Amino acid sequence: MISHPVAPARTYVLVWLGLVTLLLLTLGSAYLPLGWLNGVVNLAIAAAKALLVMIFFMHLRSSHYVLRLAAAAGFFWLAILIGLSLSDFLAR
Amino acid sequence: MADSAIVARQFDDAAQQRTAADLGIWIFLATEILFFGALFAAYTITRIRYPEAFAIASRLTNVALGSVNTGVLLTSSLTMALAVRATKLGARKASIAFMSATVALGLAFLAIKGIEYYLDYTGHLVPALNFSYAGPHANQVQIFFYLYFFMTGVHSLHMIAGICLVGVMIAMASRRAFSPAYYTPVELSGMYWHLVDVVWIFLYPLLYLVARS
Repeated sequence: MISHPVAPARTYVLVWLGLVTLLLLTLGSAYLPLGWLNGVVNLAIAAAKALLVMIFFMHLRSSHYVLRLAAAAGFFWLAILIGLSLSDFLAR
Repeated sequence: MADSAIVARQFDDAAQQRTAADLGIWIFLATEILFFGALFAAYTITRIRYPEAFAIASRLTNVALGSVNTGVLLTSSLTMALAVRATKLGARKASIAFMSATVALGLAFLAIKGIEYYLDYTGHLVPALNFSYAGPHANQVQIFFYLYFFMTGVHSLHMIAGICLVGVMIAMASRRAFSPAYYTPVELSGMYWHLVDVVWIFLYPLLYLVARS
């Protein structure tokens, strides 16, 4: 019956602390002269933050696999959208 | 609707009904990902073609206000998650308080964004309105600001929709529309709110943090 087990409030607060830490990391790292790595670090941290939000706040951690698949499908099609567009622009 | 969930006739039980609702919102959110995806694709292509211009243009954005706003939005996701949790537990007053906090943080985000837009305006950075930039790559810098205003503008429209949605949830909760057995509207409004947050999580480094070092 319980498809949404209720997580303790502590979990949500810890996730929020993680998110704020990652925000400070991405802001700080942007001022380090890392060259092209700056962009990679920024995107990796953004992906980590998005995953934290989706896994804990949007409950993918305890979701039916069909829901995880639907969530992944959105990003899969986004990858196709950007990937195939780039295959044109990068190959000109 | 007080104690037991009302199960529509096509579902076996309440759990199946909730999974169907969750699947529906995820499919809707996938279309939202692709809606913003077109803008992210345009951003990717132009950034790869004009890296110097994007580096210059990104340094013209207000990183202090952008960073504060990211914190405001992340915090609003926390209060929304706690509101959904309180609703599931039947803690009506806590749920209303957390949703009110979410609305307040959403409005704060829009207010800060508004201040930022005003500063962009006085800095002559608004394309088609008063854009004037004397440095190198001026046209490509302008392309960045077209993307900046479209992406943050469309995101702000989603914020307004989210604020209205949570406002409706507050009104429904205060009329005792939800119980531990029935909270789907709050849950789904929360999902929408979190996705709008996820979009901003990517907008923030792409618009504000290019070539700060």
